[in-house]
Amino acid sequence: MIRTYKALLFLTSMLLAPFVSADLVLVANSESGIGRLTQNEVINIYLGRYRRLSTGETAAPIDLSENTDSKATFYRQLVDKNLAEINAYWSRLVFSGKTRPPQQAETVDEALELLANNLNALAYIDRTAVNSKVTIVFEWPEA
Amino acid sequence: MINKDSWTHWRHGLVARTLLAVFLVVLVLAGISSVIVSNNVKNRESQQAITTLSELVETVSDTASIAAFTYDEQLAAEVVQGLMSNSDILRVTLRATEEILASAEREAPSASLNQADNTSQIVHTLTSPFQTLELIGEIVVDPDWDNINARISQTTLETLMIQIGQMALVVAIIAAIMLYLVVRPIKAISDRLHSLGAGSGNLLDIPRGHDTSEIGQLVGDINALTGRLVATLEQERDLQEKQIIARRKYENLFDHAASGIFVADSNGQLESFNRAFANLTWLPESTRKISRSLTEIRWCEPERLLDMLTNSLNSQNEGYKYEDDFVLPGRHGSDRWVHIEVVALGDGNVQGTISDVTQRKQEEISAKHQAITDTLTGFSNRAGLQHKLHDLSSTSLPFALIMINLNGFKHINEALGFHIGDQLLLEVSTRLKNILSSDDHAARIDADEFVLLLQGEQERNTLDLRMDELLQLLKHSYELKPISKLDKPNSISISASIGIAFFPIDGSSLNDLLRSAELAFNSAEDRSESSYLYFDPAQQAAVEHRRRLEDDLRHALIANELELAFQPIIDITEGKMVGAEALMRWPHPEKGMIRPDIFIPLAEQIGLINRIGLFALEEACRHVADWRNKGMDIYVSVNVSAKQIPNGLTPLVVQQTLERYKLPPSAIVIEITESLLMANVTVAQTWIESIRALGIRIYLDDFGTGYSSLSYLKRFPMDTVKIDRAFIRDLYNDKSDRALIAAIITMANSLGLNVVAEGVEDEKQLTILREMGCRCVQGYYFSRPVHSTELAQSFLRINAELADEISVVS
Repeated sequence: MIRTYKALLFLTSMLLAPFVSADLVLVANSESGIGRLTQNEVINIYLGRYRRLSTGETAAPIDLSENTDSKATFYRQLVDKNLAEINAYWSRLVFSGKTRPPQQAETVDEALELLANNLNALAYIDRTAVNSKVTIVFEWPEA
Repeated sequence: MINKDSWTHWRHGLVARTLLAVFLVVLVLAGISSVIVSNNVKNRESQQAITTLSELVETVSDTASIAAFTYDEQLAAEVVQGLMSNSDILRVTLRATEEILASAEREAPSASLNQADNTSQIVHTLTSPFQTLELIGEIVVDPDWDNINARISQTTLETLMIQIGQMALVVAIIAAIMLYLVVRPIKAISDRLHSLGAGSGNLLDIPRGHDTSEIGQLVGDINALTGRLVATLEQERDLQEKQIIARRKYENLFDHAASGIFVADSNGQLESFNRAFANLTWLPESTRKISRSLTEIRWCEPERLLDMLTNSLNSQNEGYKYEDDFVLPGRHGSDRWVHIEVVALGDGNVQGTISDVTQRKQEEISAKHQAITDTLTGFSNRAGLQHKLHDLSSTSLPFALIMINLNGFKHINEALGFHIGDQLLLEVSTRLKNILSSDDHAARIDADEFVLLLQGEQERNTLDLRMDELLQLLKHSYELKPISKLDKPNSISISASIGIAFFPIDGSSLNDLLRSAELAFNSAEDRSESSYLYFDPAQQAAVEHRRRLEDDLRHALIANELELAFQPIIDITEGKMVGAEALMRWPHPEKGMIRPDIFIPLAEQIGLINRIGLFALEEACRHVADWRNKGMDIYVSVNVSAKQIPNGLTPLVVQQTLERYKLPPSAIVIEITESLLMANVTVAQTWIESIRALGIRIYLDDFGTGYSSLSYLKRFPMDTVKIDRAFIRDLYNDKSDRALIAAIITMANSLGLNVVAEGVEDEKQLTILREMGCRCVQGYYFSRPVHSTELAQSFLRINAELADEISVVS
């Protein structure tokens, strides 16, 4: 069941990505002072390579739960990988303990909350959920 | 245990050689192949190692990318450790873009570190897991070449070992095959050949399974060769047997040959000789078996024999045979003659044969002796005398040649027979021996002619004594035994004419001396008395003159110098000329007219008389034919000598000559002399009868001078007798002549013969003859002999004179 699901999901994300990409944006706390980020910077931050921000602070990326479509869409849009690949990636790294995967938020709200509490936090949310407390630091160009 | 020989044998055997060759080839091949193989293996293994390592790196490259991406030393270290677990890796470095994340290195000899170079490093670039174009680091792996090479060496060694093993196996198999297929059959053939006898003719068996192989062919060839060898050996054996037999034959021949055979060198050193040789040469017995020499033999002339050997050896003509006769003095007085033939052998020796020719020699000597000996008296004959004279004249010492002629011996022989004649000759020879000294020589050169050669005699006064003695000896009467004992012994006396010539003044050759001696005794006028006369050189001159005359006469006949003169014959009863006698004339260009009584006997002696006689007949016929054609009815009488009959002037020739000139037989008269009748009565009689049968008349010339036997006139049919001029000359002085002529004429008339008186020179004679009843005359009174051209004139004159005379008488 789950596999079928995942397959469906993958298929869907593949088909819908161009259409949904516009929906997700990376946001930070409006007060954090974090400027606009490049896609590479986003990749470095989210995939644990280089998390230091232009502010000098260490970025704290926040992942959404796998239950959300956003996570899959995000990684598909960001590095063109599905979640399984992302998970496999992280599974290699976890044993070294040096690099940790982004903190996981169960929901968008929880992400927003974390974002509100941490100036270095970054999260991807649907453009529609953007509010004043957050500022978009990265968005995919219009298709 | 292999002994040395068999080892050597094996070492040179086919197997050993093949193995050695194969081994060497294999060794070379192995060397080349080991180089190639080790190279190949090394390259392959190196490549393999690199490939393996690259693949290994590839398997960890994802993780390494992640480690590099995240700069996670921990993870990088894990990756590096993982790689290091491969023993071929010496050192691994995982590098992020700027920094080395992890590195590990095996403890190894420093040498291998140096060996590591960039080319052998495996560098794997790492890309970002999310952006494949972004290089984020690299993994550098240094292979552990020591390890790898050690493994490669191991592999190479193993490969080579396997190859060497294979080759050794191949060599062993080839050796085995060689042994089985080649060597063993050959060995078998060889062993079989060893056990075969050389000429036994046994054949080899073909080794099993080799019927069609080269070995089989070889055996076949050997068997064929054996067959030929056996055949050749048999031929050889036959040939040897033949040679042995031939040699035995030769030795047999050599040993038992009747002829002596020897081989000697130029010094006469004998190499071999046979029994006959020793026997024939009386070769002295010797204990020495070798080194016998021809010079040991007692030759009379050993040098001549050695010369002959030398000549034979030096001869340019190979195989030229030299031969000669040699004398060996006999032990018992009888010499032995041997004939020796030598021929050079070409090796410096001569081969000679020797045969006993004593008998032949004796026969030769005997024959030679006989050839020069008078069998009756034992004196020399003419040839012997010639030899003796030759021997004597070569010494140039003077000697006298005495020629003794027994006068009238011929008559004794004819009258009393050869038996008495031979006895007489023997007795004469016996008496001659009495006056001969040992140096003198006696010969009988004709039936009644003896010749003595008295050495040292050169003066008449010393020789006179001996000649007187000789004459005395010969003068005694000879008492000769009759054939029959009943007859009384014959007592004969005989005179001898002896002529003496001295060598060399009276002649140097036998013929000269004999002629001189003969001239001497011929000059003796009286043959009835024994006498001796020395040769006088004047006699020689006469002889010379005569000889020149002979030559002139021969020339005269050729040059036609001879001619006929004609003397008329007149019938005084009828008073006319009836014929003419043809007389031979020789007007010699230098000496003037030569008389017929000189040159006719000469012609008779030198055998020209026949030609002269034919010439006379021919000329006479020619002229008489001419005259008769002119109306002169005359005949011509032709003189014929005794020497001309019967063959010099045959009746047939006479007849043919007459026919040629168309003459009747009455135109020719033949005049003969008494001597012709006496020479050979029977022949003469036959001849005369044949002539008369032709119708030709025969006149008997010179009647009255010789025997003038009346029996001749009775016995031989004649027509006419001619009274010799000698009787006519003194006709009117000599009464006896007149009586004789009267008798002749009367007798002739009674026998029916005509008479011609010759030499009538005057009228007185003519008158007497006419009174006597002589019918015909001939002589100067009427005409001397005239030339043929004058005869017609004489004819007319004579007939005219007679006519006048008759008319006067009447």
